[in-house]
Amino acid sequence: MLAPLWFFGFDSLMEFIGFAIASAVAYQALKGYRLSKERTLLYLNLSFGLLGAGLLIDGLANLVVLLVRFHRAFLFLSAFGYTIDFVAQFLAYGLLVFAYMQQTRNVGAQVPIAAAAVPVLFFEHNLVTELILIFLLVYIATHTAMNYSMNKSASALLVFGAFASLSVAHLFFLLFTLAPVFFPFAHIAQLFGFLLLLAMLLRVNHST
Amino acid sequence: MIPSEQGQAAKPVSKYRSQFRIYVDIMHVIQRENNEAKPTRILYGANLSHDRLTKYLDELKNLGVIQENGIDDKTYSLTQKGVEFLNNFRKVESFASAFGFRM
Repeated sequence: MLAPLWFFGFDSLMEFIGFAIASAVAYQALKGYRLSKERTLLYLNLSFGLLGAGLLIDGLANLVVLLVRFHRAFLFLSAFGYTIDFVAQFLAYGLLVFAYMQQTRNVGAQVPIAAAAVPVLFFEHNLVTELILIFLLVYIATHTAMNYSMNKSASALLVFGAFASLSVAHLFFLLFTLAPVFFPFAHIAQLFGFLLLLAMLLRVNHST
Repeated sequence: MIPSEQGQAAKPVSKYRSQFRIYVDIMHVIQRENNEAKPTRILYGANLSHDRLTKYLDELKNLGVIQENGIDDKTYSLTQKGVEFLNNFRKVESFASAFGFRM
């Protein structure tokens, strides 16, 4: 399924913005880990570092395809970028799920083992990969919603909004496999999710 | 940087405070007492035994985040480094709590 041609370029731009925000979240988590040696902050750092790397590679791959005017020899880059982005997101969200599970009980290392079992193939957007990401994101969004219901802070609401928005984005990516019109909506929802995380970061750093 | 206790396995809702958390609790008590707290106030405020309090106060002094004042009537106050540490800790705690992670 081809994305609308007019949208090419905008998708890369949105992914670069997402990369910058994910890197900022990863940096904040790293600062927190250095201060407290709290392991969950290290997971958060690795998770957002992976998310940022995936977005950067996918954005660059799509930009190259655009710059060579969709030359047939370079079209594989689009699938390459998506594959890297999917694997990065799978590991990143898997790590967050692991962190949430570890906080409530000892789960050993099931998630990393499951990650190692993912075959490395070149994917285009497809039902299976998007369903996997939606499953992980809905789990995280549920946890962040419960967190908001308990502490009622604006920052917790922003994080919940971000993961809910990222879940909707992947729902649109899934629908894009059926109709191209959903592709821009997916990227807009994804960007909105990252902007909510940026708002949370700004709030946390200026509230004290 | 203040080190936390090493070698913790996966933590369920821990009923024990980490060394790092105890440091922060002691510093909070000192700040709450207008940056001049007597040992007994810290002892009750941070919920510690006398022996453990002495040990942690010595460690915090060595880290340069608190200082001892007076000779007979001892009080403790935060140093500039201690105030900066507490401010940074609040940001980190607020960041972690936004994701639902306890510290």
